Amino acid sequence: MISVKTLSFITGRALQGVVVMFGVSLIVFFALFLTGDPAALMMPPEASRAEIEAFRQAMGFNDPVLVQYLRFVGGILHGEFGNSLRFQRPALDLLLDRLPATALLAFVALAWSSLLGFVLGTIAAIRQNSGIDFAIRVISLLGQAIPVFWLALLLIIVFSLNLRWLPSSGIGTVQQLVLPSLALGAYYFSAITRLVRASLIEVLGENYIRTARAKGISNWRIVVHHALRNALIPVITVQGMYFASLLGGALITEIIFAWPGIGRLAVDSIQTKDFPVVQAVVIFAALVFVVMNFLVDIAYVFLNPRIRL
Amino acid sequence: MVNLRTFVLAVAALVLPLSTAAAAQNEITIARSVSTTAMDPGFLREAATIVDNIFDTLVMRDDDMKLVPGLADSWKAIDDTTWQFNLRHGVKFHDGEDFNADAVKFTIDRILDPAANSPTISYIRTIASVEVVDPYTVRIKTNGPDPLLPTRMSRYPTYIVPPKYVQKVGNDVFARKPVGTGPYKFVEFIPDQHVILEANEDYWRGKPSIKKVTWRAIPDGTARVTALITGEADLVENVPVDLAPMIEQSPDADLVQVKNGGLTIYLGLVMKDKPLDNVKVRQALDAAIDRKGIVDNILRGMATPKGTQVGPADFGYLDIPPTKYDPQKAKELLKEAGYPDGFSIKMQSSHRYMKDGEVAQAIAQQFGDIGVKVDQEVLDWSVYTQQVPRKGPIFMLGWGSTQTLDADAAIYAIMRSGEPYSTADVPELDKLLDESRKIVNPAAREKVLHEVQKVAAETVPLLTLYQEDSLYGKAKDVVFAGRQDARIPVFDIKLKSAE
Repeated sequence: MISVKTLSFITGRALQGVVVMFGVSLIVFFALFLTGDPAALMMPPEASRAEIEAFRQAMGFNDPVLVQYLRFVGGILHGEFGNSLRFQRPALDLLLDRLPATALLAFVALAWSSLLGFVLGTIAAIRQNSGIDFAIRVISLLGQAIPVFWLALLLIIVFSLNLRWLPSSGIGTVQQLVLPSLALGAYYFSAITRLVRASLIEVLGENYIRTARAKGISNWRIVVHHALRNALIPVITVQGMYFASLLGGALITEIIFAWPGIGRLAVDSIQTKDFPVVQAVVIFAALVFVVMNFLVDIAYVFLNPRIRL
Repeated sequence: MVNLRTFVLAVAALVLPLSTAAAAQNEITIARSVSTTAMDPGFLREAATIVDNIFDTLVMRDDDMKLVPGLADSWKAIDDTTWQFNLRHGVKFHDGEDFNADAVKFTIDRILDPAANSPTISYIRTIASVEVVDPYTVRIKTNGPDPLLPTRMSRYPTYIVPPKYVQKVGNDVFARKPVGTGPYKFVEFIPDQHVILEANEDYWRGKPSIKKVTWRAIPDGTARVTALITGEADLVENVPVDLAPMIEQSPDADLVQVKNGGLTIYLGLVMKDKPLDNVKVRQALDAAIDRKGIVDNILRGMATPKGTQVGPADFGYLDIPPTKYDPQKAKELLKEAGYPDGFSIKMQSSHRYMKDGEVAQAIAQQFGDIGVKVDQEVLDWSVYTQQVPRKGPIFMLGWGSTQTLDADAAIYAIMRSGEPYSTADVPELDKLLDESRKIVNPAAREKVLHEVQKVAAETVPLLTLYQEDSLYGKAKDVVFAGRQDARIPVFDIKLKSAE
């Protein structure tokens, strides 16, 4: 079934991904040197010059840049990003330790935002220009306009501090999952609502829908069986990207709610100049993006016969 | 489908009643702003707050910050470069290993080992060697006279570690599963979530009254204070100034304000740059700052204006009043220095200390009042630390003597020319500072340290602003007054409900 054209398309996309990852590795590596002398930064203020020099030697910062880069890339290919300076443990282990927490938050945030966004977007499209459409559009506009740090703090102040319904931070119970996933999902909920609405309105204006109406098919059946099926293709594409960006760690949400995920690890590592961990997180996030992009591209080929190559 | 189920559960949780009851009897939850990464006291890259509860030092500090016997019964200087410590008998590590002179030697040797690359070796750099005289006597030899040696034995990295256990499990495991002689035993460590400790019932100072301690890390200030008020935490450190009223107004919590418990904030001056090489210019800038106004209005009184970098609790402190706010005199000084119309200069600051952005802005305005136009640059801390102290030429920094409580830590590193964090260049100060490090006799040393502060006040190598208070929040049930050295010794904390 897979044509030569399709195969060459897939191979091309895979090669593009490799090129992107190569570019990312270059940026990640050289960013370390843009910031000045890494050895001096990682040592405490009272350290003497000799101690800084000893540390620099131990970290291999004295070798030629090309040698350091090749060592860096070689390490990555073997899954080695070096030891975290703070934890004295492999950076990749730290990242993988925190992946489940980030994945859980990402799943829940994406699940509620997709579900609600899908329902509200459909209602808004069917009842276009009605009062309820207007209300949904206002809500989804707010969801995208409100900064996540503000929403997160608002949720804490209202639901933890004033109402005392939910804990403000931490992980372990279902209650602790509610506020962070609400804060994190708000943006995606709005985006998906708007996308479903726009996409569905467009499809409902198509000729084949008019034909279906003319045949006397019920409105409900038209929306569910004919329109939504086509309207959802762009939504699924976009969701792939959202999920990729969520898996890279939700920096602000994880920090505010003390959620032990990748985003918090990234922020802590940046602030303490734990470069091996920062590098691991950035490479990981880039890889997730590239892979997701690749999968979405392939899915597109198979899901949408209209763009058969 | 799992996602959906989790989601439904989460929604269901919204309507379920929730217990936010305070900690059960004799248990306490402490929330800090930073995550713990490792607990090997010889290789810490963070504050020793948790480690301090698991390990002991030879010398300890009481509530008044006086040096008192810890794992050492007594100590004395035998000659200028030798200190003898007589050790406490009958103390055991949590795993049953004996504490003795070998443990002390092992502890210090493993930090001094150049191959180990300890990040805190600089704190005990003066030590030449450790000799075991008998199982309960050690002699520590220093490279030159070191009056601060007993102090060095009272803080990290010299928490005493168990040699057999460390050698058996290795440094990496030790950092995750520490064993000490201290009042609390390690139970569990999940990075970015919590560290759990339980009481060491055989502790040599007696049974701890609190039986279980959970240390959590909540980086965001609002979330941390909320956790305290809702009872998710019983004690929180590092309360942001803006959120202090939230705690003060809460019926469930108290604000603990430790006067002079924080860093002393100053404006560093790159003295080799014009016009800061001119003493009159530095004096003019010094007189142009309204310290009291800043502390009262911006910092809500949670700091103390100061005239010296040394803290009142530090050895060697000289009570120098803060420079008087006198813009008229400042203008005259500028005129005398040859800048009747002022000049333009760059000032860097970051977001690290109490409301530092607003303080920097206020100072820029006050400099403007005497004709000095300030080009303000506010940088993210991770970028800032790479530029300071080289760029400036005026930069804001906080420095302290925390855990040393000695003038040396408060001034040497930022006033001795050539030190990594110093931009000062006053030969007279250098001479005195060098001298202060060679004297063991406390009275003579104190005299020199006083002299340093007098000279600093006259030559103004930097502009001392104020010393921050340290702010904690605690549940009403918790008895905790806070300490000058920023430690949280849970051994000394009591719960009223458990009395």
